[in-house]
Amino acid sequence: MYSKEVEKLLLKVQKPGRYVGGEMNSIIKKKEEVDVRFAFCFPDTYEIGMSHLGLKILYGAINEVPYFWCERVFAPWIDMEALMIEQGLPLYALESGDPVRDFDFIGFTLQYELSYTNVLNMLKLAGIPLKSSERTGLFHIVVGGGPCVCNPEPLADFFDLFFLGDGEEVDVAVMELYRRCKAEQKSRQEFLELAAQIEGVYVPSLYEVSYQDDGTIKACVPKNGAPERVKKCVIREMDKAYYPSTFVVPLIDVVHNRVSEEVLRGCIRGCRFCQAGFLYRPFREKSIDVIDAQCQALCASTGYDEISLSSLSTSDYSQLNELLDRLHTWTEKEKVSVSLPSLRVDGFSPELMERINSVRKSGLTFAPEAGSQRMRDVINKNVEEEQLLHTVNVAFTEGWNRIKLYFMIGLPTETPEDVQAILTLGKKVVDVFYNNPNRSKGKGVEVTLSAAAFVPKPFTPFQWFGQDTMETLHDKQRVLKGNIPSKRLTVNYHGAQTSFLEAVFARGDRRLAPVLELAVERGIHFDGWDICFNFEQWMSVFQDLEVDPAFYANRHREFDEIFPWDHLDYGIRKEFLIEECRRAYRGETTPNCREKCAGCGAACYGGGLCVEKR
Amino acid sequence: MKNVRIWFKKDGPAKYISHLDLARCMGYVLKMARLPVWYTEGFNPRIHMTFAMPLSLGVSGEQECMDIRLTEEVSYSNVTERMNRHLPMGLQVYRASDPVMTFNEIQFADYTVELEAEDSREIADDLAELLAQEQITVMKHAKKGAKEFEIKPFLNAVTMDITGSQTVKLTLCLPCSTEGSINPNLLLEALKKYKGITPYASVTRNGLLTKDHTEFL
Repeated sequence: MYSKEVEKLLLKVQKPGRYVGGEMNSIIKKKEEVDVRFAFCFPDTYEIGMSHLGLKILYGAINEVPYFWCERVFAPWIDMEALMIEQGLPLYALESGDPVRDFDFIGFTLQYELSYTNVLNMLKLAGIPLKSSERTGLFHIVVGGGPCVCNPEPLADFFDLFFLGDGEEVDVAVMELYRRCKAEQKSRQEFLELAAQIEGVYVPSLYEVSYQDDGTIKACVPKNGAPERVKKCVIREMDKAYYPSTFVVPLIDVVHNRVSEEVLRGCIRGCRFCQAGFLYRPFREKSIDVIDAQCQALCASTGYDEISLSSLSTSDYSQLNELLDRLHTWTEKEKVSVSLPSLRVDGFSPELMERINSVRKSGLTFAPEAGSQRMRDVINKNVEEEQLLHTVNVAFTEGWNRIKLYFMIGLPTETPEDVQAILTLGKKVVDVFYNNPNRSKGKGVEVTLSAAAFVPKPFTPFQWFGQDTMETLHDKQRVLKGNIPSKRLTVNYHGAQTSFLEAVFARGDRRLAPVLELAVERGIHFDGWDICFNFEQWMSVFQDLEVDPAFYANRHREFDEIFPWDHLDYGIRKEFLIEECRRAYRGETTPNCREKCAGCGAACYGGGLCVEKR
Repeated sequence: MKNVRIWFKKDGPAKYISHLDLARCMGYVLKMARLPVWYTEGFNPRIHMTFAMPLSLGVSGEQECMDIRLTEEVSYSNVTERMNRHLPMGLQVYRASDPVMTFNEIQFADYTVELEAEDSREIADDLAELLAQEQITVMKHAKKGAKEFEIKPFLNAVTMDITGSQTVKLTLCLPCSTEGSINPNLLLEALKKYKGITPYASVTRNGLLTKDHTEFL
């Protein structure tokens, strides 16, 4: 609910439904009857945040406990934000309408680097001191989770603790600890030191970082009994993991308004550019029975008529056709459609398409990621050109005529020829269409080539790689835009500038905290939104603080450099990543986890594919 | 197969959702309630729902209605109860009935506009002056763009009550039909244009009326 003061603003802003709460299945408790209140903050708009599966899982998991109450908070869009500031209204949570500053825990999910300014801005709107050191007493515990937590160092000064890995159990464990500490009247410091002993909990203030003269890290030393290395949390058996039996159903349309059923966690592929592919190991599947039961429960409790089987790579689910057949025993009758969020080039077959009734005939998207075979071998994207052309040919026969292909530019060892090969591949897809006698007649083919700039990320074999400078990326974009070989091809590329900034924060360290703080002070936020992103303003922040962003983005690192994230342990051995990096530069591929164990180290968790018979 | 008219209220958080969002939401609710609703036949079957008159975003509705079709016999009280079990805050079904009239018999709607201001007497005076004018024109936004529109003829029966030191309550009856409607917010536009004031207003559509100003059933 919202206050009377907020209500007076609602008709002055776009989409007021973002700010009112009251949705079906939202959880209302009596605040007198709960011991610990958790504000789950998503640092982006309502529509983005409400489409996020992690929020739904943790919202359910925390609210399962009668004496905890988790509420949702989203970043108000700039129109609403301006009015709230003008009226002196603080950021509030949607369920109770209470100010975020009344909450024990303020939790952020860190999904992408460009949301960091929104994180700080939300703390500011809530009226909570930004720095961990400025918050006192056992209250206002600012916590974070999500993929960016694998290197949270640029945010280390602002957070009290981070959750590494799967959050559904450790979040609750930390809240239990807080509850106990409250009852025993322990101090904030005592609580944090105890929390640091829980597996998956990283308390940044318990680590002292020192630097060399050249700006690289000298050492990161734990104190007060904090562990040398913080190990991520892993749910070993997905069938036994908590999964919500209901979702909050938004009143307004959001990006993904449907049942999301997580069918597996992790990825067998080991694409060398992909951080998620390493962070979420080991590869763990849910069983058909569990997925089926969860889908039924969710459809019944939400009224949704679409199920999306989500994961990093759903076509890698070992019994996908069987799973779809099982779901079809009831989905048709219930008028529910089943969709897959993305498809691998080698995962597409007419048999599969027959089972996915919701795929619109208009557009299909694949991600070959690179144009030349050499380049695809470097990044270990084990997709052959022949396979792609075969797949699109099948798709054309089945009636599709719009294909979208995703690529990256700025990959390690990339030459202008590799970039050119993106266009050549696009042209070949066009040719396949016109050579296919069974193509849908009357319509031409449309092939869209979309090229993003590569951002090297921690915990990948490319974590040592200096990102291409913006000039180099612009040159490569010119190659793409310069000589498009067919009128049927459309080429898009996006933001070298946002990719540069992403690269800075992805591999940044604690010395970036003042940069973020000043950026937010100058009103920079919603960097992921084109209409808000202001690169010049960002550059002036770096300049004024004499911080060189190229040191983080473009600098090539040696294998023996100590990284800001080296004390965080995701089960992936550094030696493995070094070996993978070497193989990449030699153009050698690595088989996927199902074919052969590559020995990454994730087997230490004793779960999933690592311990199953291959 | 049976046509059923669902009567509901829309206020609180639910008044801030658009007509399209309302329709989607009712679809979810009907599904959650597992009512034997009839689906449209076609490539993408949808629950058959038709709404009487869309309500503007931000306006509360006291007696709104929509029609659905049921493929099996369900008692009206059961329909009401099952829907209410799942409806979000601000939406409430208070009755289900046979559709007595057709939607194109709706010609008017009754509205209440509650205004809040520093001083209710001042705003009442402003309103009285405004309503006494020979002409009241405002910009009306339509699909083809904005154009000048004379609303004075529709404002002859406005009643005004000072309900508190800072609140004034207006009641008015405006055309509301499939051929065209007058939005009560136009009165607020006029207040802004002629008197330069923008008081906070909560607008409620109290009911739908036929051409004889009798209750739509």
